Amino acid sequence: MRITRSLAAMTAAGAALALGACGTQSGGGSGSGGDGDDTGSGASITWDMWAGSESDIEALEAQLAIAQEENPDLDISLQHAPWNDYFTKLTTNLASGNVACVTSMNGQRLSGYHEAFMPLGEEELATAGIDPADFTEGSLDIMSYDGELYGIPYDVAAMLVYYNKDMFADAGVPEPVAGWTFEDFDAALDGLGTDGTAFGMGMGEFQWMALPIAHAGVQPVDESGALDLTNPAFLEASEWYASIAADGHGSLPPSASDTGWGEQEYQAGNVAMAVDGTWNASSYLNNEAGFAAGMVDIPSVDGERLGLVLGSGYGISADCENPEAALQVLGSLVGEAAQDQIASSGRSYPARISSQPLYFESLDEGVQDEVQAAFEAVFTGLEGQRSTDDWAQVNESIQPNLVTVYTGQSTITDVLEQTQSQFGD
Amino acid sequence: MTATGASAAPLRRGQSRLRRIESRQALGFISPALAGLTVFTIAPVILSIVMSLYDWPAWGDRTFVGGGNYVDLFTRHPDFWPSLRNSAIFTLLFVPMNLAVSLTLALLLSPRIKGRAVFRVLFFIPVVTPMVANVLVWKMLLQPNGLFNGLSTSMFGIELPSFLSHPQWAMVMVVVMSVWQGMGYNMLIFCAALEQLPEPVLEAARIDGAKGWRMFSRITLPLLSPAIFFTTVMTMITSMQVFAQPQLLTGGGPGNATIPIVMFIYDQAFTFQQMGLAAAAAWILFAIIIGLTALQFSAQKRWVHYEV
Repeated sequence: MRITRSLAAMTAAGAALALGACGTQSGGGSGSGGDGDDTGSGASITWDMWAGSESDIEALEAQLAIAQEENPDLDISLQHAPWNDYFTKLTTNLASGNVACVTSMNGQRLSGYHEAFMPLGEEELATAGIDPADFTEGSLDIMSYDGELYGIPYDVAAMLVYYNKDMFADAGVPEPVAGWTFEDFDAALDGLGTDGTAFGMGMGEFQWMALPIAHAGVQPVDESGALDLTNPAFLEASEWYASIAADGHGSLPPSASDTGWGEQEYQAGNVAMAVDGTWNASSYLNNEAGFAAGMVDIPSVDGERLGLVLGSGYGISADCENPEAALQVLGSLVGEAAQDQIASSGRSYPARISSQPLYFESLDEGVQDEVQAAFEAVFTGLEGQRSTDDWAQVNESIQPNLVTVYTGQSTITDVLEQTQSQFGD
Repeated sequence: MTATGASAAPLRRGQSRLRRIESRQALGFISPALAGLTVFTIAPVILSIVMSLYDWPAWGDRTFVGGGNYVDLFTRHPDFWPSLRNSAIFTLLFVPMNLAVSLTLALLLSPRIKGRAVFRVLFFIPVVTPMVANVLVWKMLLQPNGLFNGLSTSMFGIELPSFLSHPQWAMVMVVVMSVWQGMGYNMLIFCAALEQLPEPVLEAARIDGAKGWRMFSRITLPLLSPAIFFTTVMTMITSMQVFAQPQLLTGGGPGNATIPIVMFIYDQAFTFQQMGLAAAAAWILFAIIIGLTALQFSAQKRWVHYEV
């Protein structure tokens, strides 16, 4: 009897302890964020970032070394996870109140996570030593939501049409030039044939959506910030996009789990064109399949091109215990030295204007001028991307249905109407 | 008399003191296990019940909604019923196929044929190789530009359907791949059971003239029934919990054609950040599994023969 009672008491105590632990922040654990002392010096700051490969991690460590050198009195450490797992991990970290002080964020996903970040005002920017004028015009929009700035971008990006010069030459189709139109795009598709090698159908959000957005001239989120997937112009443009698959031009994803289909097919040299971001430009130029890669901006309609400015940046977590130290680290991570490092490694196109020329210098001499021309074309007249709080979920919901659209089992209109009714207000 | 009584009393007192000390020591010994059980099992279970009654985002404010999550799942959520249906279809296809295949393999390998140890290892390999590797291989086989379609078009000129992007074929292929992956485990259990069959019973049957199909259906199968019962229950439970195969092979698609209930729970929790909804769905799955298992246990009296 006594043993049962003791057992019950211990179980209850254990449960209370565990439940308590679930609800509070674990204080000062190694490798966790939110730690540090009040004075700022000797504080340890964790930087959380995505990294997919050894070379990614090496590049991050090089940036970390720069930040560490600029802040010798701080102890900066790096946490990383692959892109696909990063946001799952961030969600669980948020649930357990264990977010790294300096947390990386992708602009398209900021809407769903903005509450986790500390808004940055003039005072914070001064602490970090950041002058907004040093960054590409409009690039601060990437890390802004609802008029509030939540982070500083380290790169700017836009969607491009990548093309395979060898396949264009084989088909005798003229290569696309900057400022091309959707008529030119359709003509290129026709010239490339209907054996499923003309275009890699996209599965990622902007890998498929960039063309319909440009074709329609509207974003699927209206100016008031409400989801607008069923905008007639957007629906019509999406139907046009789906017809690329129906007409036999497109290479179709074999499974809904192939979330990077169009880009992968392009990288493997299987399709002549695909849409992807500027962030992959250098990996396409150095593709292992050995084809000559070209790039051009998204086609325009009647001389107007609706392209969106995308990118990623770093923010300070809202519950960071030592925001001042974290801001100093942030300042170093988007500072000149770190941005020069990003640019000269050719990994992404830096947001800091003074570092941008180094990006082109990192490329092979033969392609430098061409890439610079394409980038200059694509980075003009961009619009900030509008999104809703549940934008990431909207895309997760559309994605598995794209396969049924491309294979003709459902229509894109049905899919978008269903998604609109599920997520629209 | 008095002397005995006087000596008995301290003895009892001594015994009870000893028992107290032993109890305390026992408590000391089991406390690590008990603490582990509390922290890693009991507390999460209680927490998940609480969670299922709340609108519980991954972070931010939580509001009590009572049975709201359950009502939402059954009446409003567009993917909940399809995911339950998918799990049911998977279980109905997978459990009989898995048992039939693994039992057949075990029967084929039970005579003392040459190299049967090699075959056992071969059939068991998919069980121990990581699921991701298995799925990668199957994807390469099943893709339109994969091995199956390549062979079919080059040898017979027949274009196979795109297995993983067709709603019905995708489910069939998830089941086929899972049977291939899981058959080795049940095969080993059946192999062990076949070797334990009581020789006197078999010999008596043989003397009475039983052989072939009659021997199998009247003697071997009833003697194997405890093993079949065990594998049915375990396979049913694992198939209700299937996740990795559809997640990696079809991504739950096309549409929601292959999303099983566990993947639905995962998506709700970690993609859509609705922990409360996910916890409620998890408890519904738990209730279904417990119900089905109880049903199987109550039905076993009719067909499971335990040797006495």
